[in-house]
Amino acid sequence: MFKLALASLWNRRGSVWLTVIAIAVSTLLLLGVERIRVQTQENFSNTISGTDLIVGARTGSTELLLSSVFHIGNLSNTLSWQSYEHLQSLPGVSWHIPMAMGDSVHGYPVIATTDALFENFKYGNKRPLSFAAGGAFAEQNEVTVAVLGAEVARERQLSVGSDLIVAHGTGEISFSQHDAHPFQVVGVLERTGTPIDRGVFIPLTAQGLVHGEYLPDSGAEEHSHDHEHEHENENVVTTEPPVYTLSAVLLGLENPALALRLQRTINTYRGEALSAIMPGLALQNFWRTLSLFERALVAISILVVITGLLGMLTTLLASLRERRREMAVLRSIGAGPITILGLLVVEAFVVTLVGVTLGTAGLYTVLLFGAELLQQQMGIQVSASVLTLREIYLLLAILVAATLLSLFPAWRAYRNALADGLTVKL
Amino acid sequence: MSTCIELKQLQFKWPGAQLPLLSIPELTIARGERVLLRGASGSGKSTLLGLIAGIHTTGAGQVKVLGQDLAGLNQHRRDQLRANEIGYIFQQFNLLPYLSARANVTLACQFAPARRKRLSQQSIEQEAKQLLTRLGLTPEQQQQPSHQLSVGQQQRVAAARALLGSPALIIADEPTSALDQAHRDNFIQLLFEACDAQNTTLLFVTHDATLAPLFPRAIELSEINQGAVADV
Ligand SMILES: Nc1ncnc2c1ncn2[C@@H]1O[C@H](COP(=O)(O)OP(=O)(O)OP(=O)(O)O)[C@@H](O)[C@H]1O
Ligand SMILES: [Mg+2]
Repeated sequence: MFKLALASLWNRRGSVWLTVIAIAVSTLLLLGVERIRVQTQENFSNTISGTDLIVGARTGSTELLLSSVFHIGNLSNTLSWQSYEHLQSLPGVSWHIPMAMGDSVHGYPVIATTDALFENFKYGNKRPLSFAAGGAFAEQNEVTVAVLGAEVARERQLSVGSDLIVAHGTGEISFSQHDAHPFQVVGVLERTGTPIDRGVFIPLTAQGLVHGEYLPDSGAEEHSHDHEHEHENENVVTTEPPVYTLSAVLLGLENPALALRLQRTINTYRGEALSAIMPGLALQNFWRTLSLFERALVAISILVVITGLLGMLTTLLASLRERRREMAVLRSIGAGPITILGLLVVEAFVVTLVGVTLGTAGLYTVLLFGAELLQQQMGIQVSASVLTLREIYLLLAILVAATLLSLFPAWRAYRNALADGLTVKL
Repeated sequence: MSTCIELKQLQFKWPGAQLPLLSIPELTIARGERVLLRGASGSGKSTLLGLIAGIHTTGAGQVKVLGQDLAGLNQHRRDQLRANEIGYIFQQFNLLPYLSARANVTLACQFAPARRKRLSQQSIEQEAKQLLTRLGLTPEQQQQPSHQLSVGQQQRVAAARALLGSPALIIADEPTSALDQAHRDNFIQLLFEACDAQNTTLLFVTHDATLAPLFPRAIELSEINQGAVADV
């Protein structure tokens, strides 16, 4: 019977292929969306760990999170160097990473920071950053040095010793290139799978140099940066700070349990309006706002699968009419109506199985050959790992749904077979 | 000689019809007989064949095939009886177009264990080949997809399928109406020879009265049927 179903399908391969392709595409979509959804969430929550508080000027927690962890967006408010010094002096702070952002190189965000980043920043399961080549800023005498994220180094084909020019602004096309300050690459980080890979890290002092903050009387003040609004505070500091303003500060505590209390202390700091967020919580909240979108995506891909299956149902039903003769012949050689019913169910099952298999194969093809492109074009990270249990369930669900759906045309064929008997009028 | 088909007080009415289409007090066909059943179009010939083949059913005791009361068998048993003991030839479109001629013939054994058993000395494939060769199809033609064969060739393939595995009864529902006279006579001759070789009963249905002289026994449906005859 199985062979018969196959032969019959082969006979109608033209329309059957279309059905198979429709099912394959919808399977591909469903699996793809599922994979992107799960892996994005994973990557997302892996971006930062071990940091207890992120502090910035008073702003929304999502904004602060996006700029400090994902290097997306531009914080319009900054916190002053004095506030940073205050943060360092708070009890229980074991380490601190200052970050000043706003510039870019070839579209990659430039993060001005200190070597504390390489020592204390952790991602994933509390994994520290490590160098694939070269080392941190401090090992150099030069100020204009840079450490590159793995992705930047790979895409721009830069390595230790290369020069790069930092431009102001975050766009791919920058309007004011600071040609005078080529930076020398001194280190390349190991790949992390986080936004760190796409970052260009320079010392805070170099940031001051680029913006003319470090040398206040050099006449470089024409730049109308918003950073310069803070210049009135100069006389308060005793030693000249490398920069006057920071975008964010990451704090690590001796006792993470005290994060909540410290958060309150920082939020009520009198010197400047600051806000402190707990990255884990902020990530969760942010993900929740995204989940609506995510659920819509899943719903759409399920609808596409249903459309594919309905397409199969339609072709099956349409084929019944022209196959009444075939059914009568089978009846005449002794096939029972149940056999006719089974034939159609087997047929639908085979079509769906081939479709689902092709769709899965398609997914892996896309992942193997297109993961790079996805990563580069959309920043979506998906890997060609084996099917998860949930994905297998999804595939089985498609097969079961198709088999159940096919019962409808199969039932029709069964009824036809009983009513027509052997006298089919064409 | 035992009987092959036995009709007694047969009454058959299509659902929704006012009067019974068939009402046959008595008809007996012995094993090995060659019978022509003639009737006008719409007189219920195909319906009667459907009853004998166990596709449709009537009350108990009305239709007996090979000694078995069809009304006493369930659907599955009737399908089995048909698969094992009845070879059926249609007027046209007998074959599954996507199978080769030979595959169409071997299909006869698909649902019929008894037929397979009767062939056990030889493989089904071998037997089908011999049968087709005897009916005049070259080995190349036997491997062709059946829709590439001429109508006459297709009918011969259908006959081979009906004959494979020596069923007790061959039912032919106007198998020659799409053939010209020369092919028609030739086809009937082949059918006779094959039936003789296997001692198979042949029930041949047609509306064409000119075939009657070829058969030892010819029955007019209108003479045995007292049911309502549809106007032609
Ligand atoms: N499946 C069916 N359901 C209801 N009525 C039917 C069905 N099949 C046949 N009939 C009716 O039964 C009558 C006889 O049909 P049947 O096919 O047996 O005639 P026939 O003698 O074989 O004619 P022909 O020589 O044209 O093949 C017709 O009036 C037809 O309308
Ligand atoms: Mg008829």
